[in-house]
Amino acid sequence: MKIAGTTALALLAPAMGLMLILYVIPLGFYFINSFHLFRDGRILPIWTLQTYVNYFTDAFSYKIIGESVQLSLVVTVLAIVIGYPVAYALHTRVRGAGARAALSLLLFSPLLVSVVVRTYGWFILLASQGLVNTTLRAAGILTEPLSLLFNFRGVVISLTHIMLPFVIFPIYSVMGRLDQSLKEAAHDLGAGWWQAFVRITLPLTMPGVVAGALICFTLALSAFVTPRLLGGGRVQVLPLMVYNNTVEINWPTGAVSGLTLLLLSVAAVWALNAVLKKLPSV
Amino acid sequence: MSTLVQQQEVRAEAREARAQGARDAVLRTILAVGVGFILLPLVIVIVYSFSSVTYGVFPPPALSLKWYGHLLSLAPFREAFARSLVIALAATTAALISGLLGALVLVRARFAGKELLRGFLLSPIVMPKIVLGVGWFIFFARLGLQGGIVPITLAHIIVVLPFIINILAANLIGLDISLEEAAQDLGASAPTVLWRIVLPQIRSGLIISGLLAFIVSFDQVESSIFLTRGENNTLPIEMFLYMEKWQDPTIAALSTLLILFAGIVVAAALLVARGTDLRRMITR
Repeated sequence: MKIAGTTALALLAPAMGLMLILYVIPLGFYFINSFHLFRDGRILPIWTLQTYVNYFTDAFSYKIIGESVQLSLVVTVLAIVIGYPVAYALHTRVRGAGARAALSLLLFSPLLVSVVVRTYGWFILLASQGLVNTTLRAAGILTEPLSLLFNFRGVVISLTHIMLPFVIFPIYSVMGRLDQSLKEAAHDLGAGWWQAFVRITLPLTMPGVVAGALICFTLALSAFVTPRLLGGGRVQVLPLMVYNNTVEINWPTGAVSGLTLLLLSVAAVWALNAVLKKLPSV
Repeated sequence: MSTLVQQQEVRAEAREARAQGARDAVLRTILAVGVGFILLPLVIVIVYSFSSVTYGVFPPPALSLKWYGHLLSLAPFREAFARSLVIALAATTAALISGLLGALVLVRARFAGKELLRGFLLSPIVMPKIVLGVGWFIFFARLGLQGGIVPITLAHIIVVLPFIINILAANLIGLDISLEEAAQDLGASAPTVLWRIVLPQIRSGLIISGLLAFIVSFDQVESSIFLTRGENNTLPIEMFLYMEKWQDPTIAALSTLLILFAGIVVAAALLVARGTDLRRMITR
């Protein structure tokens, strides 16, 4: 069925109508506030760039931006370092479609459960008398309980867990498309497992790694629930600033914070897409 | 001489086999640890829902059902669950209909700027949810449309629409257009072709995208937190606000029920998808 002219317009109308009214206009309202000014507890409806000037000359803003980028980078690196071996093991060591589907579903299952539930799970695990601390002390690794709640560490652990499925699956799906004969050729030419892995598998699965990193970084950058509940006010990232500013009716500063958050996401997408284009495709 | 070479080969093979065995063991361990890590927070939540004490001590000193009792005594959670269910179903349905029509255009029509349009329709995925949340807060306040489930449902349509368009467009690309042309040659109208030829072929895409949309809507916090005022809290927001104040295992009991609920929803979706595949195989 080919679609042309007015039919195409008519079919597009519901989606486009929803997007224009419920997406473009609200975002417009939101960003327009960045050109107003918040003073003495209220928003002055004047047109000015003063909010931008104030925001970008304030050292506190850079602290928040730095902490946001740092958190997302650490989480992305950890998720890849943990996720890659898991994807590789799933790809090479699990035979049979049923076993693979079952394991994939297990690895995917946290996404079916609210992020509030998962964050609560880490809240229990990371408590000073929780499973993690109890186990580490029983194993003699720690003598004093390690402080994991209400600080950067706890947020990193919990966010890494939340992001893992988003990293494992792109890598796993690229591995599935890998031409097995390349690896066999490497072995026939005398390459050992390690050499074949480093020279063949790793470079050819980099597109999956970059795709996973892209999803992970942008999601971690805009994460709100976990930093809010596990950060204990000590992990201050951009989404929390947007939230706080909005609650304080300081919409202009909130809009500039939000715009910064959006620009960082777009920059990350753009940079990683540029990397992706340079990589050999499978 | 030849026996020496053979012996060396045999030894090399044995070494390789040992290395292979060791790698196998390492990779199996990695997989087990990885799956364990992924499941750990969910398992611990289930364990703690039966804990007898308030605070997170491991292991729980004794077992009890009191948190389930406490949960059932809290009407707001029940009402929020029903509200979230209605919102997720309504948002998913609206997004499925508008998204299917939009995806059809993206895949089948040819016009300048199509890639731009696709990028625009998919852009809410990368838009930070908190930004959208504040945008909707201001928008609906200006409209005077506050409270109730209508603003939240409208917001969720935008949140889930790109997922649906993306999955359905991917499903539509693979279809054999000659089937539809044959039906049209035989006199079928465009809606008939859509209903009888196109939809049955993308049924699994409809189920998967619908399921994903339902789950995503059911899990919205940032995008909806400024649209709720207590009387119209959704379930994740009710939980989020409860967790900001209390950290007792009532949330664990509720989470356990939600894990069970997610399991049932997925099993039902898998059964429906499997069932349609079976039917198709039988009728073929």
